[in-house]
Amino acid sequence: MTFADRMLRLDRRIIFLLVGLCTLIPLLYPVGLAINISSEVRGVYDYIDSLPEGSVFLLSLDFDPASKPELYPQAIALLRHAFRKNLRVLGMTLWVSGTGMAEQVIGQVASEMGKVNGKDYVFFGWSPGVSAIIISMGQDLYKAFPSDYYGRPTNTLAVLQGVKTLRDVNYVVSLAAGTAGIETWYVFGKDKYRFELGGGCTGVIAPGLYPLLRSGQINGLIGGLRGAAEYEVLVGKKGRAVAGMDAQSVTHFTIIILVGLCNVFYFLSRSAQRRSEQHR
Amino acid sequence: MIFFRRTLPLLITFVCGIVFMAQYYVPHPSSEELLTTVNKWLQIIGGFALILGVTSLFHQHAVKIRRQEPGWGYSFALYAGMVGTIAVGLLAKGKESVDGGLTAFGWVYSYTMVPLQGTMFAILAFFIASAAYRSFRARSREAAVLLIAAVIVMIGRVPLGEYLIPISGDITQWILNVLNASVRRAILIGISLGAVALSLKIIFGIERSYLGGGKE
Repeated sequence: MTFADRMLRLDRRIIFLLVGLCTLIPLLYPVGLAINISSEVRGVYDYIDSLPEGSVFLLSLDFDPASKPELYPQAIALLRHAFRKNLRVLGMTLWVSGTGMAEQVIGQVASEMGKVNGKDYVFFGWSPGVSAIIISMGQDLYKAFPSDYYGRPTNTLAVLQGVKTLRDVNYVVSLAAGTAGIETWYVFGKDKYRFELGGGCTGVIAPGLYPLLRSGQINGLIGGLRGAAEYEVLVGKKGRAVAGMDAQSVTHFTIIILVGLCNVFYFLSRSAQRRSEQHR
Repeated sequence: MIFFRRTLPLLITFVCGIVFMAQYYVPHPSSEELLTTVNKWLQIIGGFALILGVTSLFHQHAVKIRRQEPGWGYSFALYAGMVGTIAVGLLAKGKESVDGGLTAFGWVYSYTMVPLQGTMFAILAFFIASAAYRSFRARSREAAVLLIAAVIVMIGRVPLGEYLIPISGDITQWILNVLNASVRRAILIGISLGAVALSLKIIFGIERSYLGGGKE
């Protein structure tokens, strides 16, 4: 067995250790490299920034705890921006397993920004039906959610004054980890009820949403931890996403080096095999 | 009775399919009211589907525990977890927090479900790195193209990459916006045309597998 063959059969625990160290060290000793802003993220930021005070902003937190590291920082940055602009924030989720997290992030940012539940924002929670709930909200918001997450009748809340259906919502952003998410909001919501739609998603599903972005079906896309970091930079309050970018940088380069080495060893091993076949 | 097993479901499917296809294009209040009502039904059915799913899961694992089949201990753990969570969930009326304080249900959610799911997802990073090392090889021209594109996107999506190779960000954007978007769009159009064709086949009773098998 040649050296290349041995390297191709490298114990995976060494790779695990390498990835672990490459994640941990930059988190402990951050460098803070500059983060460039992409047009996709700027699309969401600029639209929220252009909304007049009192506009209605619906944030659908369509993810579960598995995607928390990527989407939670996005939610925090978006909520900070919306509350700073004094928008009326409506929160909800299409994922039942994400209800607690969604309630937590909205409550956390609202209290940090001094916003009052029921007056400045409302959290609807989760309701079964997925696409049906979006259509139902488009028909009559109060029939879709007769009460909010805390059991208060929605038709008595000051934050919902003048809001009857999704047609009265100025901007919807879905932070999605899969289906139901951005595509669901487009197909069953925006297409029929004509509101502006933006999206945030995990890095894994972001490439799949580019057709929607390029055709204008969504006006912006915050992709993965990188997107969250860009939004934090735009909002001017750096958080966990910016802190995680150094770790992501080093890990990406580690994987690139590993893939490069694996290919070098692969070609060395192949040429050695060919040489030995020729000698026979 | 063939009428109740076949004809009636086909008739309901045909009528509902045609009515709701037409409904999309009719903005009359009665048409909108019809959609609202049917959506309410869908939400209710969705709620019952959840109960059905949980009951089925309970039944399946109860059988495993009773017969002490291999791995019944895992079924027991699932049973204990589900029963425990449902119990605290009912006690807390489904609320994770009340007046800013965590309920027992909220505690289970925040300190078991959130870290467990987070850990499962985080482990992926290690396995992806290991899998990439073992299998991401330029065995053919197509694989080499894929490999080069992946490396460029990985460089261009992180600040270190943009710092070392400033043009990598623009190339990444081009790959995502042009190559990726056009291929994805082609796939989406294909899937959508297939979905339309299948829907029409179901509405017109050509595709009947959803009715299930069994004797007529």
